Amino acid sequence: MDLLKKSLSNAINNILRNKLINFLCLGIISFTLLTLGIFNYISYNLEIFTHNFSKNIEAIFYFKNDVKEKEIKAQISKIRKSLLVDEVIYKSRDEAETSFLSQFPELKYILTEFDKSPFPSSIEIKFKQEESNLTTKIISFIEDIEGSDIIESKQVNIDWAKKVLYIKKFISITGIFLSGILFFVSVFIIYNVIKLNIIYRKEEINILQLVGATDWYIKFPFIIEGALMGLLGGIIAGILLIILIKLIPSYSDFIINILKDIISLKKIPLKILIRLLFFGTIIGLISSLFSLKKFFKK
Amino acid sequence: MIGFYHVYKQYVKESYAIYDINLSIEKGEFYFLTGASGAGKTTLLKLIYKEELPTKGQILIDSVNINLIPRKKLYKLRRKIGIVFQDFKLLYNRTVYENIAIPLVVRGYRKSYIDKMVKNSLSLVGLNHRKNYITSHISGGEQQRVAIARAIAGNPIIIIADEPTGNLDTELSIEILKIFEKINNNGITVLIATHDNNLIRMFSKKTIELKQGKLISSPTKEKQQWIY
Repeated sequence: MDLLKKSLSNAINNILRNKLINFLCLGIISFTLLTLGIFNYISYNLEIFTHNFSKNIEAIFYFKNDVKEKEIKAQISKIRKSLLVDEVIYKSRDEAETSFLSQFPELKYILTEFDKSPFPSSIEIKFKQEESNLTTKIISFIEDIEGSDIIESKQVNIDWAKKVLYIKKFISITGIFLSGILFFVSVFIIYNVIKLNIIYRKEEINILQLVGATDWYIKFPFIIEGALMGLLGGIIAGILLIILIKLIPSYSDFIINILKDIISLKKIPLKILIRLLFFGTIIGLISSLFSLKKFFKK
Repeated sequence: MIGFYHVYKQYVKESYAIYDINLSIEKGEFYFLTGASGAGKTTLLKLIYKEELPTKGQILIDSVNINLIPRKKLYKLRRKIGIVFQDFKLLYNRTVYENIAIPLVVRGYRKSYIDKMVKNSLSLVGLNHRKNYITSHISGGEQQRVAIARAIAGNPIIIIADEPTGNLDTELSIEILKIFEKINNNGITVLIATHDNNLIRMFSKKTIELKQGKLISSPTKEKQQWIY
């Protein structure tokens, strides 16, 4: 506990001692984490959008004409077993004809030419609205049913959701890629800042080694320093992200008005902020450990 | 206490800083390590606290072959040895107390114990009145006494000093050596590297002499030759 307290106070002193270099370093970590945060936030909003969209997804599957009733029943019971499905409504060929006639009575004469109902039997599926990642699962579920031999065609209002999912995927990959590059830049910079601090305190470290300090006793303050710098970077990035989200509606009314119907910007969820703090600390820890490893190897 | 067995140290090819040293330093004794500049005194001391590794040969300290001590366990050896440098190696922005307390703090001792040990060390070097002074605000002679107090604070079994009087005038040098004598009287082995022959004559202690890395004379040299 004493060592932790001492290391923490040493770390704060070091950060304040080399203000310019440490603040520059903090700026870069914050920028990295802010980028990560922005992409995370956009991705989160698109996820919510696709989830909301999934509430309205309905799928109608039309059976081939020669399909036996037994096969249809088997297919329906298979679909009902899925956890995604809320309701399955079966419409026989006759029911389809009746429904057609009730909607378009003036077209009754067309049907007089047919002995049997010309409409295919179908099932209408309504989906549950509970799970967060429902859309992806629904899409793959629908594709599964479509692959069945007894299905002739389908009618699904899911293309929009599919497109949004692609955009979300693209944004996530771009975010990970950019954050990855910035992550390495941050690690490199903290690594060098810690290295400078080690060189600055080389004499002190040498004295500590000569009087019998363990390696860990010497390393700990630097590790804390790196972690603290990362954590501070995370806090700054979080604050900047909150401010940014608040500022967007006031400065880009036009764009927001266009997007408003599609995506409504939500409050930043706590998990994104925690993620920023976590990644910041990890960046700091990794960098300081690398720096120390190199120094203590000598 | 300290044994050198055919120890060589080479920094550059075909030139030895230490050449085939066989030496035994007895427990509780006071030794001067002498020789001209570049004779290998500092290298020999550095080999003892493993700041340098021998090119060849074995060094035993307190019955432990220090060649076999891994880097991570080096602190155990360093805790047995108190080291005093010519340039003091103090933290000048800290107080006298803080400097002396370092070897105790790194061992994780309690504050009350640290206070007691620092007080004892300060009494031995006669610096109680400077306890709370910032180290850069005291004189060179006092700074050297702080370095000695720090060396003894951790209760070492050996004290080694590299030219501890090199930056001091004769009067202060005598004072410093008297402190080392006091320390030795408490049963601690003392090894002081110096090229000041006047001081060596004045204190008439056992002397180990080096010349160009070779052992010229030592109280135990004949014994060592008999062993090998």
